[in-house]
Amino acid sequence: MSHPKKNITLQKKQNLFGWAVLMPAVFLIAAMSFYPMIKALILSFETGIGAKMRFAGFLNYTRMFEDKIFLQALMNNFIYLIIQVPIMLIMGLILASMLNDKNLKFRGLFRTAIFLPCATSLVSYAIIFRSLFSVDGFINLLLVKLGILSSGYNFLANPISARAVIIIALLWRWTGYNMVFYLAGLQNIEYSIYEAAKIDGASPFQSFWQITVPLLRPTILLTAIMSTNGTLQLFDESWNLTNGGPANATITMSHYIYNLSFKYVPNFGYAAAMAYLILILVAVLAFVQMKVGDKRD
Amino acid sequence: MIKKIISSFVVAAMALSMVACGSNAATTESAKTEPTKEAESKGAEPAKEAEAAPAADDNTLTVWCWDPAFNVYAMNQAAEVYKKDNPNFVLNVVETPWQDVQTKLTTAASSGDLSTLPDILLMQDNAFQKNVISYPDAFTDLTDSGIAFKDFGASKVAYSTVDGKNYGVPFDNGAVISCLRTDVLKEAGFTPADFTDITWSKYIELGKVVLEKTGKPLLSMQAGESDLIMMMLQSAGASLFDQEGKPNIVNNAVLEKVLSTYAELVTSGILIQVNDWDQYIGTLTDGTVAGTINGCWILGSIQTAENQKGLWEITNMPKLDGIQGATNYSNNGGSSWAVTANCKNVKLANDFLAKTFAGSVEFYETILPSSGALANYIPAGKSDVYGEPQAFFNNQKVFSMITEFASKVPSNNTGVYYYEARDAVATALTNTIAGADLKSELETAQSTVEFAMGQ
Repeated sequence: MSHPKKNITLQKKQNLFGWAVLMPAVFLIAAMSFYPMIKALILSFETGIGAKMRFAGFLNYTRMFEDKIFLQALMNNFIYLIIQVPIMLIMGLILASMLNDKNLKFRGLFRTAIFLPCATSLVSYAIIFRSLFSVDGFINLLLVKLGILSSGYNFLANPISARAVIIIALLWRWTGYNMVFYLAGLQNIEYSIYEAAKIDGASPFQSFWQITVPLLRPTILLTAIMSTNGTLQLFDESWNLTNGGPANATITMSHYIYNLSFKYVPNFGYAAAMAYLILILVAVLAFVQMKVGDKRD
Repeated sequence: MIKKIISSFVVAAMALSMVACGSNAATTESAKTEPTKEAESKGAEPAKEAEAAPAADDNTLTVWCWDPAFNVYAMNQAAEVYKKDNPNFVLNVVETPWQDVQTKLTTAASSGDLSTLPDILLMQDNAFQKNVISYPDAFTDLTDSGIAFKDFGASKVAYSTVDGKNYGVPFDNGAVISCLRTDVLKEAGFTPADFTDITWSKYIELGKVVLEKTGKPLLSMQAGESDLIMMMLQSAGASLFDQEGKPNIVNNAVLEKVLSTYAELVTSGILIQVNDWDQYIGTLTDGTVAGTINGCWILGSIQTAENQKGLWEITNMPKLDGIQGATNYSNNGGSSWAVTANCKNVKLANDFLAKTFAGSVEFYETILPSSGALANYIPAGKSDVYGEPQAFFNNQKVFSMITEFASKVPSNNTGVYYYEARDAVATALTNTIAGADLKSELETAQSTVEFAMGQ
């Protein structure tokens, strides 16, 4: 006890040093991330206009299920999720296994070309898609020239086609991104397994289904969770491509949250409650996916 | 290996250039898709993030406004005018797009820390009520500031008046004009005089003839936006809210008339709907349509089509049929100057505004020719500069015409929940055009707005 310093073992010393190194980062995350999150949670239990907030309990959380626009936005988000995410992940998988073929020429070029959309800014690609699908845009021009349509079709004025345009845009933007994860995962699969399967007479489809998919399961799980998360937080496409229209048919939850905070009479409590609902949804969906997807015992 | 290095460089370069283009396009776009289009932002430069220099001395004012060719220019000219009598005066204009002004204002006011706000900011008239009622502590009451509010059109001052108190000094004019292509009308056997002081039914009747003979619709509008709806409503002094501020959407005879008129315009092909602001401007400048109806700030965009010089004329808008109090005059957009509660020298700010925007005909004469910034300041309308014929508009004296229109605009109640109601009605309109029942759509719109208000 008279020499407390000697009581600190080497391991403890190292631990302390480790904590000391971590502290600045921990402090920054706590101050910049956790503190606002807790504040937002408290805010979500308050209501009022602008700066005049009062405690309201669970009012905001019950209120949003009576909010027709919010329910519409929630439904839109789930339409995007259910249709777009599976198509994107399957396409990503197929592309990745095709581009993993060692005998394919210009592999690097193809990989780059498919990945490149991810490098474009969210705002600019949304605007480009908007002009592509406008009445006198490129797609209509093509359809008219090919004789499929007699005059330009206003894709963004019809609820179904407007959602389809958003889904197509999302596929273009994100398929390559997920493909890269699969490609990375595929590098960990011994190529000789495929060669062995080939010798045993497995068709490409069989080796895809029996080898690639099971061995990539952790990566597929990761991309599924990330895509779910991303889709529930969609904002740029709704904002820039369709502006939520026609008649709120494409508005997303994040877009509605933005409107509530900055376009309409500000009600930050209500907006914060919605943001927390998105968090809960993401957490629940990720949990379900982990339970379903993770087969390790 | 070398190939790989080179290709990665190429990819990096492409990625960089895309990101660069992307951010540029984004800025331009956000400036253009600005909901209440202040005279098309001419210089779509990214906002210069010159941080407001701290007001070191008592003679400095910081101002936020957004358009370099328009309100920024006007503000700087105002400073020049004011400096003649106050040589030590310093004005610091920070170019801030409207959406950023709104976001920054909301952030500052809801955090309770107003120190980031400028002394004066420009506010869209339609957002004025909402902001003052949400954040009453963020603004300075100008009622007794010595600014002569009676020198402005009453309907314009009403936008920035909350509970009988004045919070804003009117700036630009949003009087509605009907713009027409004289060459197209001639082809159909009409002149702009045939479109003056008419009703919507007459407008539709003439529009059908123009469409038949020239193949050109008279109007284009942005789908999902309710600009024209709001203009038609105000032209009869009506609004989506009653005097107590309650939503007045169901059983609003004027609104029903407006929506059925709009639907008829669309179904008869006289009005074509486009998806965004750029396409709307495109239909004007590339001659797809033979005219437009909008706030007078649209003149700036029309004049970008230099090959159409002399082919345009303006007149007043059609009025609603069979509605009491209907007029040929309305308003769309426009903005006013607000003094924030962060202003350390309210006296200076008041004096500055009173002697320029609310007191100097000479000032308005300076800004008009180069920026087209039309005043709501009634004494300025009598100036000779306003009476000069404009070559682009077939030598019409457009500016004095618009000032005259502006003085006749009926006043209405914008309402605090203006944007909620506007969007709800736009949704109802879109669904009605797609075939839904008007009455039930209006009921939905009313309940949407009531829901938003019941927090």
